[in-house]
Amino acid sequence: MGVGGGEGGDQALVAQTLAGDRAAFGALIEQYAGQARRVARAVLGDPDDADDAAQDGFLSALVKLGQYDPRRPFGPWLMRIVANAATDRRRRRNVRRVEPLDAALVGGGPRPDAAAVRNELGERLRAALAELPERRRKAVVLFDVEGYSHAEIAGILGIPEGTVRSEVFHARRRLRTLLADFKEPIR
Amino acid sequence: MTEQPSFDHRPDPELGAALRAALEPSGGDNHSAFVARVMAQYDNALDRSSVAMLDVLASWFRPGMVAAAAALVLGVLFGRMVFQTPDTTSIDAAMAPVEGPGLAALVTAQDPPDASVVFTSLVEP
Repeated sequence: MGVGGGEGGDQALVAQTLAGDRAAFGALIEQYAGQARRVARAVLGDPDDADDAAQDGFLSALVKLGQYDPRRPFGPWLMRIVANAATDRRRRRNVRRVEPLDAALVGGGPRPDAAAVRNELGERLRAALAELPERRRKAVVLFDVEGYSHAEIAGILGIPEGTVRSEVFHARRRLRTLLADFKEPIR
Repeated sequence: MTEQPSFDHRPDPELGAALRAALEPSGGDNHSAFVARVMAQYDNALDRSSVAMLDVLASWFRPGMVAAAAALVLGVLFGRMVFQTPDTTSIDAAMAPVEGPGLAALVTAQDPPDASVVFTSLVEP
């Protein structure tokens, strides 16, 4: 189960939102904002684009809330909408904004001061993620960051569970290769 | 990174934490500004969806009316074709002689009809 509210809490908030309670929808956004923004950023890279996509996702979910089946967990349903919104936004972009990887980032390069290591780690991770196919990016973030199960991710991405396992495996292998130099600093 | 096998069924907490930190919005954003930003669009989103629904219904209306009218006309034509009965002919008209003795002669004659008369009445319209 992914990070988010308890299922009962989510269902109650959904029901209240459907009854016209704005604050309930605000609570749902508050609950899932972190996840949605991170997943969107994994797809889009750019944080502003990611926030636009996450917003599109939440508003799309609001409009489609009547279609949500309350017997199922809310998080995966919402993340599917958010991930699709991010993908749509990425497709609409004329120019893909994945900057070529900095040789220093990929190959290690001179080690910066210890204080800057975490920033550089973030840069390298984002660059490494950007190198992965989009579905692989989503899969590894949903699994390792957001804590969704393989089955839930399969539902979110609309692919077989075995494919999710494979995508996570390949993403991890790639990320670990690229980040090998940071093994010690992140401990 | 941890040295656990890549094909692990459990999330990798270290990789997860590093990715989470990399994907978090910068500046210690606690999402409140984002929540406010989405909520500012709450009414617009619902309005747009209802307008979009009306647009869809409106776009369906004209072709729907044309299709319904066409179906009605076709139905009427088909019904008339199927249920139309042939013109009836009165018994007197049927029995009236056409040329020669005709059908009446066949019905009222005492003797069996001549074969040529029978065939003539069948062949004649």
